[in-house]
Amino acid sequence: MTTAALASPTSRPSLLMRVAELRAWLFLIVLVIFFETWTRIGYGTSFLFSLYNLQAIAVFAAMPLLLGLGQTFVIISAGIDLSLAFVMGLASVVAAHLTNIGATNFGMSQPVAMLFGILVGVAITIIPGLVNGWLIAYLSVPPFIGTLGMYGVSRGAAYLLAGGMTIAVDNDWYSQIGNGRAFGYIPILVIITAAACLILHYMLSQTRFGQHTYAMGASKAAANRAGINIKMLTLKIYVLSAIMGGVAGAMYTGRFSAGAPQAGEALLLDSIAAVVIGGASLFGGSGTIWGTVAGAFVIAVIQYGLVLVDVEPFWQFIAVGGVIIVSVLVDQTQRRYLGGRQAE
Amino acid sequence: MERRSFLKVAAATAAAAGTGLLANKASAADAVTIALIPGLTADGFYVTMHKGAEAAAKALGVNLLYQGGAKWDATLQIPIVEAVIAKKPAAILIAPNDKQQLVGPLKKAFDAGIQIVCVDTFIGNGVFQTGSGDADFPISYVASDNILGGKMAAAALAKAVGGKGKVYVSNTLPNVSTTDQREQGFKEGMKAFPDIQVLETQFNGDDANKAAAQFQAVLGRAPDLVGVFGANLFSASGAGNGAKQAGVAGKVKIAGFDAPESIVKDLKDGTFEMTIAQHPAEIGYFGLVAAYAKVTNNPVPTAIGTGFTVMTKANIDDPNVAKYIYSSK
Repeated sequence: MTTAALASPTSRPSLLMRVAELRAWLFLIVLVIFFETWTRIGYGTSFLFSLYNLQAIAVFAAMPLLLGLGQTFVIISAGIDLSLAFVMGLASVVAAHLTNIGATNFGMSQPVAMLFGILVGVAITIIPGLVNGWLIAYLSVPPFIGTLGMYGVSRGAAYLLAGGMTIAVDNDWYSQIGNGRAFGYIPILVIITAAACLILHYMLSQTRFGQHTYAMGASKAAANRAGINIKMLTLKIYVLSAIMGGVAGAMYTGRFSAGAPQAGEALLLDSIAAVVIGGASLFGGSGTIWGTVAGAFVIAVIQYGLVLVDVEPFWQFIAVGGVIIVSVLVDQTQRRYLGGRQAE
Repeated sequence: MERRSFLKVAAATAAAAGTGLLANKASAADAVTIALIPGLTADGFYVTMHKGAEAAAKALGVNLLYQGGAKWDATLQIPIVEAVIAKKPAAILIAPNDKQQLVGPLKKAFDAGIQIVCVDTFIGNGVFQTGSGDADFPISYVASDNILGGKMAAAALAKAVGGKGKVYVSNTLPNVSTTDQREQGFKEGMKAFPDIQVLETQFNGDDANKAAAQFQAVLGRAPDLVGVFGANLFSASGAGNGAKQAGVAGKVKIAGFDAPESIVKDLKDGTFEMTIAQHPAEIGYFGLVAAYAKVTNNPVPTAIGTGFTVMTKANIDDPNVAKYIYSSK
């Protein structure tokens, strides 16, 4: 063990360590200042003090963030969930189908049909979540492989259920959930995402479930010997992640008035990037919900901002990739030189 | 593995392979087999194309194989081409995922005696049987003329926005022949309207969420935006959603491409101003007929263009228009 790791585990964290932990928020602030300057000089408008921009960025970040919330738990536990790409699509398609079936076959009114569709769409994701958890906990399949397998199975299931097309939904209530604004300002989608953030933050930081997740990620063997039921914990974590995929999928169907099997495909890597930029280590044991929130907004701000200031589209890929690399480098440096103090 | 169990497994595998080959041979002797490899399987357009090809196969007594990747990805399509070559169909109808990367694998198929028909997208430059070039061997290119489709979208959108203002193209990824051509056609068509400025194209990777955010960003820097051309379904539906989020649905006109079932609602509630519907069932049908004609030693035109239907709120209820909505039924 290096001396750095032994040095003062209970004393106040140094400024440098604090900076490293909060790097996602610092990135965000730097980006906002960067774009604010650019828009003022180039266009005479504000980036940050524009309700329009804030709404657009918040809605843009909502679905990747929903996926990222579940992914946070998984990554803290030293796992990864690749199946979210199509679990989200599966939920989207099922929600669309059942909203339609509820209205036509069971004569439900629009709000009831919508709730029926959303509930079943989210509930169905428990199945891939359980399979993931079972493969990883009971059959000791590495998370990457296990969830990659479910990625394929969910993809097939979603496409089969959708017949290879998108499933149109005609439900004004559902469309309002995805596109409506509360009090004329705050998109309902953002409110739902914020509620999810609060709930999952509470679960991660204030419950035994959250504490055990950190323990498992830091050292599975130690957690096991401390009496934590690792198998049940793993199951719960992957079911939680899948359910978040279900929520994101149900929201997608509302927003676009159609269920699409590939709804989450483009969002998977953004969700992992958000968690990593937010301060979690891919080796497990650290990370926070608010970090993931910051990470998701970093990605959204970059992608939105670059289009807003009319930068050549391909720079966006480079920008997001660059931020991820810097995040991981900071994380590695933090581990090596600052004793790798875990986030609380 | 022990030698004996290894030998057992090897023998079993050989027997299975042998039976498989025999079964293949038996069916091949009965009917002409033609394979259809779509651009991707999970897409209403290709599902409808498959239906058209099936109808032609039934009419001609052809055995139709259908294999495709779940994603628009040349690295997924190339192994499928190679697997299909091993089944020795008489012809392959394919929507190549990349103009260059599929030339090699398809040439291999052609050298193995399999005729190639390109449907929807093409390899090389899409002009075949000229006697020059390394992507000259396909016998025909059957598709909507995407450049014409783009021009039609430009004309319809220009009319809808009153002939002036800023517009942009929401595209998926570069170097895909179909969307490239639609964009090209759109820009050429817009040249006839000097008061319309075409802003830089935005690429959304076929993600509606990103297309929506890009719309809002473009509108943020260009408040005088009047129209968007979505080069495919998710591009247009994403841009339409962005317009809804920004509160300008109906004010900024969205011209889409393709007509999945959700188009009816989108046209009626103003999310889309219009859409250019292709006729994928015709592409599948005539693609298969062209392949069959070649296999039975009949002449084949080197290019077959199928048409478009411009769908708007005004005409979507007309059954003659509505029959072109892509569906699997």
